[in-house]
Amino acid sequence: MTKKNYISAAICLVVAVAVMVSTSMSFLAARELPLPEWGPSVTEVKMLSDWFDGLKDTNGDTPVYVLKGEKEGGSVLILGGTHANEVSGYMSAFTFIENAVVEQGTVYVIPYTNHSAMTHNDPSEGNLQYFTLQTKSGERTFRYGSRATNPVDQWPDPDVYIHYPSGQQLSGSETRNINRAYPGRPDGNLTEKMAYGVAELIRAEDIGITFDLHEASPEYPVINATVAHQDAMEIASEGCINLLLSGIEMSLEQSPTNFHGLTHRELGDYTDTKAILMETANASQGRLRGATTVDQVLGGQDECYLISEDLGMLYVPWDETGHPIEERCGRHLQGIYEYVTAYNNANPDKAIVYSEVPGYSELFLEADPDELGGARLGSFLM
Amino acid sequence: MITIIYRLIVVYVIALVGWNMFTEKKLTMQMNCALVLIPLVLRALMIK
Repeated sequence: MTKKNYISAAICLVVAVAVMVSTSMSFLAARELPLPEWGPSVTEVKMLSDWFDGLKDTNGDTPVYVLKGEKEGGSVLILGGTHANEVSGYMSAFTFIENAVVEQGTVYVIPYTNHSAMTHNDPSEGNLQYFTLQTKSGERTFRYGSRATNPVDQWPDPDVYIHYPSGQQLSGSETRNINRAYPGRPDGNLTEKMAYGVAELIRAEDIGITFDLHEASPEYPVINATVAHQDAMEIASEGCINLLLSGIEMSLEQSPTNFHGLTHRELGDYTDTKAILMETANASQGRLRGATTVDQVLGGQDECYLISEDLGMLYVPWDETGHPIEERCGRHLQGIYEYVTAYNNANPDKAIVYSEVPGYSELFLEADPDELGGARLGSFLM
Repeated sequence: MITIIYRLIVVYVIALVGWNMFTEKKLTMQMNCALVLIPLVLRALMIK
C-alpha cells in the first residue's frame, strides 16, 4: 500500500462518515413521532404495554388515548396507523381524539397501532418522510411511515412467513405486517407482540366494537369498502345502508374465513369484539402512480391515475378532483359514526355516544375546493 | 439471537470492506468501498 492510496482511502472514509452522520440524524429524528393534542374528552393517555408488558421499552409500545364519557356505557377501539403509509387512518384518529366529546361509554384510540412502522419509510418508493398541515395552533408536522415494522426493530425476515396459529404461509416480508399478525402471541416477534397487545386490550376492556382504518391503491379491488367479521355483519349492514343514504358509496364484504392474520378475521375470532375494517382510496400507494408528492398524498391527485381511469384499470371513480384527505378522513369518521349508531341500536345497554367529530359533510362536502388537500382537515385540528 | 448473529455478520463484512478500501489501488474502487460502507455501518449501529 502506497502513501497515496492511504490518503485517498482516508478521504473516502471521511466522506462516507460525513454521509453516515448526516443521514443518521435524519433517520433518528424520524423516531420522534408527533402526538395528538388532548381533546375535550381525553381523560388519560396509557401505553399498550399497560395491557401487555412484553412491549415495555420497545419501539412497538404505543400511546392509547382514553376518552371516557360521564355516563357508563360500552366501549369502542379505533386503530389508526396499522399501516403507517395509509395517511387517512392515523389522521382520522388524530381528528377524533382532538374533537370528540364523549357523553356515554369509553372510546380508546391508538393513532399509531404499528408504532415501529411509523419510524421509517419503505425503501425504493420515493415516499415522503413528513408533511405539514396548517392547524388552529399553527403549522404542525406529521410523519409518513411504512406499511411494515422497522427492520431495525425486527430483522431478518424469513423466506416464508408462517402465521400463528393458523399455519398460513405468506411472503417473508409479511412477517413485519401487523395486519397479518393477529391474534399475535406473547413470545413471538415484535409485530406479533404488538398484535397480542391490541388483542389483550380488547379482552381486558371488553371492547364492544373495533375499527381498523386503512387505505388502498385505486387499482386494488377492496376499496371504498368495509370488511366485517361475520359476527359484525348485522351492524355493518345497517351502518352501510345509512352511509349510502348519506351519499357515501361503500361496499360491504364479509371477512374471508381462510385469510388469516387480519383484524377483521382474528379479532372477531379470538375476542368478543365486533371487528370492522374500512378502506379509502390513496393514490400514493398505487403501482400506477406518478411521483409521490404532497399533492398526491394529501390532495389525492395524480395525472397517471387519470390515464388509468380512461383505460378502465381502477376500482374507484377518478377525475381531476382526485380523492383528497378530507374525503378519505370524512369517510372513515362518518363510517365510525354510522357503525357505532348501529351497534348502539343492537346493544342499548352498552351504548357509546359522542359528538363534535367532523364527518363526511363537514370535512368534504361543505369545503371550498381551495380548502381540499389538507387545509380543511387542518382547520379541525388543534 | 438471530438478529445478533446478523449484526455480527454485518460487522465482519464492514471489516472486510474497510480492509479492502485501504489496500485497493484504484481510486474508483476505494470510492465504491466507501459507498458500500454507509448502509452497512448504519445497519450495524441499528440506525437504519
